[in-house]
Amino acid sequence: MKNSIFAIFFLLIPAIFSCQKNGSTAIDPNTPLFAIPEGFPAPKYKMESNPVTADGFLLGKKLFFDGRLSRDGTISCAECHNQAYAFTHHGHAISHGIEGRVGIRNAPGLMNLAWQDKFFWDGGVFDLDLFSIAPIQNPNEMDETVTNVIEKLKKDKDYPSLFKKAFGTEEITTQRFLKALSQYMLTLVTANSKYDQYAAGKATFSNDEKEGLRLFTEKGCAGCHPAPLFTDHSFRANGLDTGYFRDTLDIGRGRITEQKGDDFKFKVPTLRNIAYTFPYMHDGRFQTLEEVLEHYNSGITNMTNLDQAFKKNVKVGIPISAIEKKQLVAFLNTLTDEDFLKDKRFSY
Amino acid sequence: MKKIGILILAILSVTIYSCEKADEIGPNDKNSLSLNFDNMVGTEDLVMGSKTYTNTSGEKFTVTTLNYFISNIELKKADGSVLKYADQYFLVKESDKASQTVTLNDVPAADYVSLTYTVGVDSAKSVTDVSKRTGVLDPASYGADNMYWSWNSGYIFFKMEGNSDNITATNKKYQFHIGGFGGLSAPTANNLKKITVDLSASNAKVRKNIAPEVHISVDVQKVFGANIKLAASPIIMNPTLGVPVSANYKNSFALEHVHNDAM
Repeated sequence: MKNSIFAIFFLLIPAIFSCQKNGSTAIDPNTPLFAIPEGFPAPKYKMESNPVTADGFLLGKKLFFDGRLSRDGTISCAECHNQAYAFTHHGHAISHGIEGRVGIRNAPGLMNLAWQDKFFWDGGVFDLDLFSIAPIQNPNEMDETVTNVIEKLKKDKDYPSLFKKAFGTEEITTQRFLKALSQYMLTLVTANSKYDQYAAGKATFSNDEKEGLRLFTEKGCAGCHPAPLFTDHSFRANGLDTGYFRDTLDIGRGRITEQKGDDFKFKVPTLRNIAYTFPYMHDGRFQTLEEVLEHYNSGITNMTNLDQAFKKNVKVGIPISAIEKKQLVAFLNTLTDEDFLKDKRFSY
Repeated sequence: MKKIGILILAILSVTIYSCEKADEIGPNDKNSLSLNFDNMVGTEDLVMGSKTYTNTSGEKFTVTTLNYFISNIELKKADGSVLKYADQYFLVKESDKASQTVTLNDVPAADYVSLTYTVGVDSAKSVTDVSKRTGVLDPASYGADNMYWSWNSGYIFFKMEGNSDNITATNKKYQFHIGGFGGLSAPTANNLKKITVDLSASNAKVRKNIAPEVHISVDVQKVFGANIKLAASPIIMNPTLGVPVSANYKNSFALEHVHNDAM
């Protein structure tokens, strides 16, 4: 008995030590870092090309929180992607980067990225592994070159051994750097909201929540935001007045495809954790879900390429009454996944 | 007399023998073949930096950066068979002399009658997994002289920058960044340019002791053609705007000559 207590004690010491060393909570080897939730489709990311391992994930996490990815060391990925707000830039309509420079769009939440194959509001990047290059090199975000980042990591005292743990040798390459970041981002899976519990018969909905769910389908919201991912990953123009506040016109998807038919279309975002991802829309113009619903009710501009979903009545938009709005918001709030927002594995 | 006759015969036979040897193609003989890219302005060698040139539209310009990718080199024999060097990518930079010679190693000895190459990075490679993007395709390999679009995944196939007093913007800078492989998730402009060079005038004769050098001139004057005016479009950085530029620079690449010198 005494011996086994000693044994437990000795087992605990390295566990505690390793926690401190990684600046994070130890990873439970019995819980896979990445798993496909019940009812989710197959991932679009080629998981076999970059299997998520504990060491790869921890390296990716350290990189995600490392300000040295930016030119002057001030801006890490986590700066604009804060876990407590579903990896969005809390309270910022438009993200600001290095030296207070502002970008052009709202930082989207990082959730269920394994099921996406087009990144950014305009879908300009088609591979998660290639994504991180963009914020690093954007002059308004991190204003650094990947070349320099790799050099900085090579000179660091910790990174070479962390790369060895994750990839077998101390060599720090672009490929390993990007794959490690992907491993961290791939684990950001959210699928345990009250809605998920309800769908699995493990939780009950209030009358407002139930009515909200019914309206969600009836009003056509689910057309673009279908469960379980609550997005169909399409690009659509949702009637946002284009002259909102910027000098330059943001044509969204049209900038990438250079097809007139794609002008002013932006990616349909997931509604998971939507209560925490405000402000809303690609330019962060709405602060609350009520404002968003009011936009669909009365604020839609009959613009170029306006989506058909808003053209079902003589007047463009989707009529939503005050009571319906309240019920829809009640339902949208059930998409919050507290476990995800507070999962200590993701924090640094 | 008889002796002289024998001597002449001996000399001749040696000469004939050596000729045969030079032209002999051993089944296992290999050597390198290189393409030498010589950037020019009209008939002059390009001088980067302050030297000012005049384009077809009468606009003055300098060149401060000139880089382009060369890939998918193919060599064709007289019998029509083609040798493909599919997974070799080269980045030619005017600022880096060594990069201007593109070398294919272990080319089987033969007479090659034509050569094909692509200016740019083909669509398959442009969408490939990041683990296969090494060497000149490594997005981290460019430093400040970037050849990769991070916001619209893809390589910049051809980059030419400089200054012109004809540009009204205060920095007087022009930047032609030409890319666009046709798109993955949606069809977009395709600026990949495949160029075929007829070598039949001299052939590229790869032998055990001959490593041919194919000299290609690249006239940047032709990049402007008659239709690209610096005053009107100094900044070209998306695939569609790049279409007329790539159509022009396809004509910049021309065969100068082939060296088939024995080593």
